[in-house]
Amino acid sequence: MDQYLPIFLMFVLGVVFAAGSFVGSKMLGPHAKPSSAKTAPYECGIIPESEPPQRFPVRFYLVAMIFIIFDIEIVFLYPWAVVFRQLRLFGLVEVLVFAAVVFVAFLYLVSNGALSWGPAKRLEAGMPARTSESTISRITAEQTSPGQAA
Amino acid sequence: MPGLAMLGSLVHPLFAQGDPLFDNGVGWFVWVVVVIKVLVAFAVLLVSVLLMIWFERKVISDMQSRIGPNRAGPWGLLQTMADGIKLFFKEDLLPDRADSVVFKLAPYLSLVPALLIFTVVPVGGVITISGHTFELQVADPPIGILLVLAMSAIAVYGVMLAGWSSGSKYPLLGSVRASAQMISYEAAMGMSVVTVVLIAGTLSTRGIIEAQSHTFFTSWNLIRTGVVPFVLFLIAITAELQRPPFDLAEADTELVGGFHTEYASIRFALFFLAEFMNTITMSAIVVTLFFGGPDGPIPHIPSATIWMPIIWFLAKVMVFLFIYVWFRAALPRLRYDQLMTIGWKYLIPLSLAWLLIVAGFLVDGWWGGGIAVAAVALSTLLVRAFSIGKERDSESSNVPVLGSRVAPPGLHALGTSSAVPPEDERSGHDEGKS
Repeated sequence: MDQYLPIFLMFVLGVVFAAGSFVGSKMLGPHAKPSSAKTAPYECGIIPESEPPQRFPVRFYLVAMIFIIFDIEIVFLYPWAVVFRQLRLFGLVEVLVFAAVVFVAFLYLVSNGALSWGPAKRLEAGMPARTSESTISRITAEQTSPGQAA
Repeated sequence: MPGLAMLGSLVHPLFAQGDPLFDNGVGWFVWVVVVIKVLVAFAVLLVSVLLMIWFERKVISDMQSRIGPNRAGPWGLLQTMADGIKLFFKEDLLPDRADSVVFKLAPYLSLVPALLIFTVVPVGGVITISGHTFELQVADPPIGILLVLAMSAIAVYGVMLAGWSSGSKYPLLGSVRASAQMISYEAAMGMSVVTVVLIAGTLSTRGIIEAQSHTFFTSWNLIRTGVVPFVLFLIAITAELQRPPFDLAEADTELVGGFHTEYASIRFALFFLAEFMNTITMSAIVVTLFFGGPDGPIPHIPSATIWMPIIWFLAKVMVFLFIYVWFRAALPRLRYDQLMTIGWKYLIPLSLAWLLIVAGFLVDGWWGGGIAVAAVALSTLLVRAFSIGKERDSESSNVPVLGSRVAPPGLHALGTSSAVPPEDERSGHDEGKS
């Protein structure tokens, strides 16, 4: 375990450095309590109306799950790669079988559309381009609409 | 791949066993050497981050016909130092909605892994001082390259928790994007590293550079793995580092700054530090894995065997640092779906196929050729799978717009001048369409 001694020392040094920086900045920085506007979540200067989103597109979760398949494959590949010289043909055939199984799973996922992030949103053909006129009409439409709805 | 046949017993037995410094137990001299190594590595990293930030700003401003920083110190060299000191004097904000423990923990999780990765990078050869032989690298554990992968995986937590604990929209979006991006490219990165491990037959970084140090250039893994793993690895680590063109997590133009939007003062500085430290360390890892590390021709001058490898190492790292800056100046940011498509649909299958082909050639030429042919044949299957996947997704690929805003379908039928959509239709734009 001696080989890990410098790594441990570097770990300690990194933690001490980060903690020391915080202490230093606490001592050197302004001590006045920040105003409530400063501690509000950043929203380009607007007072935030809604909480940050709690739900996310399911594709992010899918990506995390598919990642596990490949991560497990890689976990097995490292020891295999180290002893490949001794395994030779046996190791090659074994890993080919393994890779074929993973590849079939990958094909299934891809053809299910699990990894496509939806079509790019394009402007529909035939729609009017954005001109100053269209913008003005849109804004007037928005301004009048609450009154009409009420 | 000409070099693949002569790979029999290239790994020197001495170097598979780690740093010879520890062979005779841990005495006071060993402690002194270890402490000096750690301190020097730490100081060098910090100074090189200062220089790297200056270098990046200066090179980019040259490429954009600007002057760049030129006030603090000669050629603006001290600009980064000035910025860093300034950040110490700034207000340390803790946002109202932040989870304070996690918010304070996240900078550690970014900085510490960045430091630890550098410990396994071999920066030079082997030197002997008063009977003690040791390697010019901070640590040489037998699992060197696994430590790199593990630490770069832990760094995902830093980004993820920083964004999540901020309690704000932009950091959360940035961190979710970042973690999906980093795990997506980790697979391709891992598999191109496996190709190197396959050739070198060891996980130790010292063992990997020893396996490359026989003839200049042709014995480097760049050539012996057939260039493709290097290209894949370079793309994958650029995405891991979230450097342009893969900087979607920060995406200043849409996400304000991504996961560290809510961070101020020295906490922000630590994220910045970790980011540039990772850039430098990963350039060093590329050099170690594919370019022979400190390997290069050494002139016959006394003591050249000590400093020439270090110079070779630094020169190679500098090339990659310049390449990263060049990427940033030259390439526009990718769209998110493009990023995911490149990572999953091209890099991962290609790296897996190339790994198997290299393994096949290590057994013999027929196996290698056979696997190559099979990979080409199977890639047609993959292309077919892509198109099936795309068809499933192709409804509503065109979004009608009014003005410049994405509007609900059907709205455009009303025309533009008198379009007054019902309130409920207008509120749900852009969501749940794909």
